[in-house]
Amino acid sequence: MTAAPTLDVQPRGSALEEEIVGLFDLLREPLLRYLAGIGLPIADGEEIVQEVFLSLFQHLRRGGGRGNLRGWIFRVAHNLGLKRRSRTPRPSSVAWEWLSDPAPGPEEQFFQNETERRVQAVLRALPEQDRRCLMLRAEGLRYREIAGTQAMSLGAVSMSLAKSLARIARAAER
Amino acid sequence: MKMRDRVDHLSDQELVLAADGELSGERARHLAGCESCRARGEKLKNAASLVRMHPQLPAADFARMRLRARLVEAAAEPDVEQFWLRPWYGVAVGAMALMAILGILVRTHRPYEVPSPRLTPGAARTMDRDTLCNATLPKNQMVPADLRQRVFQAYGIADADPRKYEVDYLITPALGGAEDIRNLWPQPYVSTVWNARVKDELEDRLRDLVCGGRLDLAEAQKAISTDWIAAYKKYFGTERPGR
Repeated sequence: MTAAPTLDVQPRGSALEEEIVGLFDLLREPLLRYLAGIGLPIADGEEIVQEVFLSLFQHLRRGGGRGNLRGWIFRVAHNLGLKRRSRTPRPSSVAWEWLSDPAPGPEEQFFQNETERRVQAVLRALPEQDRRCLMLRAEGLRYREIAGTQAMSLGAVSMSLAKSLARIARAAER
Repeated sequence: MKMRDRVDHLSDQELVLAADGELSGERARHLAGCESCRARGEKLKNAASLVRMHPQLPAADFARMRLRARLVEAAAEPDVEQFWLRPWYGVAVGAMALMAILGILVRTHRPYEVPSPRLTPGAARTMDRDTLCNATLPKNQMVPADLRQRVFQAYGIADADPRKYEVDYLITPALGGAEDIRNLWPQPYVSTVWNARVKDELEDRLRDLVCGGRLDLAEAQKAISTDWIAAYKKYFGTERPGR
């Protein structure tokens, strides 16, 4: 599990800008992967990520709360992502081939295709909200952060993750 | 014994909590001593990594540069909060709209103490002092009905009660004022301090001064057409009318 970014200082002006860029470097790829996982093209994801960090800048400039910034960032990205997707006449479906690790080790290469096929089948069969929780977990979010991002109760998130992860684990074992 | 083992082992949900370091007490102690639970916990952790997407992402350089430029731009802008998103904004907008409507209504029936310089700049006939003072000129000659109506319309009070207003000559005919819409405005009789009767007093005073040789006619015309209230204060030496 990736540790949540620690932010204890209250920088202003250019220091704040540097802090935002630092967070951007840390979270851009996880955000793009998550947005791709909910069916957004990468180009749209890039736009959303820009908006997220500009919003974060305004949020912090106004003295907004710093507790659970990673959860805040993913929540804003999630909401913007869904809004963008709803405006698209034909939202693109998730490109499942992206589940492939482009650089597997030699041993993993042998089993990769078959395992991926089974994992994809499980993912496709999951309700969308369970799938989103899973994607966020894959990006290292704690279950409390996921609950904030998805506006779900803590119990609902832990239950969803437990069920989905167990199914994926079984599919990978077969 | 088998049943007891199943009951004691951690559920998948507990293993999720354990991965986040949120398991404590008896259950945490069980996990620490149970190889089977730890193995299941590892499987769940690994399962999460299996669903991570690996899309081909463009390099971050351009996106980072763009973000930096936008941050500089945002920092240069004043920090204007999106106050229209605040709950009180709707109430404030409603109150302002009501005030604006009331303002329009009030203005519609506002008594015009002083004429609009645009609508009533003043107009005078060409006349010298001797002609003016030797002639018997009416102080307020009757304004034709159609001209009265045009004055009311020009001031946006076409439906006002005509008995409440005197369509007054800004420069009175007794001082050479012309019967011209540019020299007429609806002046209220009452309800204001600076009403039509007060102006009549000024007109009498100015004519006396002009015909007595103590004030130039053009100067009197200019004084009454520029700001008759200021002229009253000046020629009566008072800040407020006497009656």
